[in-house]
Amino acid sequence: MERDVAQARMREVQRIMERTTLYTLLPGTPAVIGGVMALAGCVASYAMIKSLDFADVLALSFEAQIGFCIMWTVIGVVAVTQEILLTARAARLAGVSPTARPARFAAFSLSPSVAVAMILTAVFLHDGNMHYIAPVWMMCYGTGVYAAGLFSLRLPRLLGLAFIAMGAVGLLLLPQYGVLLAAVSFGLLHIVFGVVVLARSRQSSLI
Amino acid sequence: MSKPIRPDKIDSVIHERVRLAIVSALAVAPEMSFNELKATLSLTDGNLSAHSRTLEEAGYIRINKSFEGRRPLTTMRLTPKGRHAFRLYLTILRRIIERNVQ
Repeated sequence: MERDVAQARMREVQRIMERTTLYTLLPGTPAVIGGVMALAGCVASYAMIKSLDFADVLALSFEAQIGFCIMWTVIGVVAVTQEILLTARAARLAGVSPTARPARFAAFSLSPSVAVAMILTAVFLHDGNMHYIAPVWMMCYGTGVYAAGLFSLRLPRLLGLAFIAMGAVGLLLLPQYGVLLAAVSFGLLHIVFGVVVLARSRQSSLI
Repeated sequence: MSKPIRPDKIDSVIHERVRLAIVSALAVAPEMSFNELKATLSLTDGNLSAHSRTLEEAGYIRINKSFEGRRPLTTMRLTPKGRHAFRLYLTILRRIIERNVQ
């Protein structure tokens, strides 16, 4: 075998191993942590606005509204940061670069839909119409997770579809229950997803 | 100075491109379904079937057929023999690259 062929083979092996590793690096623990944080945020939201409708936040004082926005921003930033850090750590432990091409693909798939959700949030805040904020975030996030899941196993795609379906139901039928929808989707669904991922990986390591 | 690598040292089962891809993927994932492997490696059903059979006959992978609900589920995993052969193959590749041995 010639050196060029050997190098090409080695590159091919590395590319496949990177891609496959990222298939198996589903964020189980970060999903559970993110879910618990989202649940806590929903409980705190309910305590603040005394309602299951995010629209009622507009009845709060300006300072309370700012506090509400800061709380959810902190939850979002911490949840995403811990997910990135823990997944990157898992990648390093598995011996692959956390910035490998499939990871970038996944990040790029998720970011446009999150950007859309942020723009819509700004529009909703500007117009004083917060009814649809939870279902819109659920559908945008679900779309992003589904797209990112195209580079992974089937499980994240199912999570994305579940978010989209729940968001659609929420948007059409239950927009006044935004806090509950967020608790069930961003909270419970993430926790269930994380537990399933952890159970599967434990099962694999036991074999 | 160590000996040059003889061509007959290269494992012809793993050396084939598609089979190397299958083994590389299974070296990382503990177990993959037929469809997951097909999607990861962009292979056709026939191609993956034929090459996975060759790997199974060589004792490099284990193929398990079961049902998930009513749907048939085929999963594959690397055997210790397959993992050893893969490591050996990578070692040979590295030696060729490092020393430019033909």
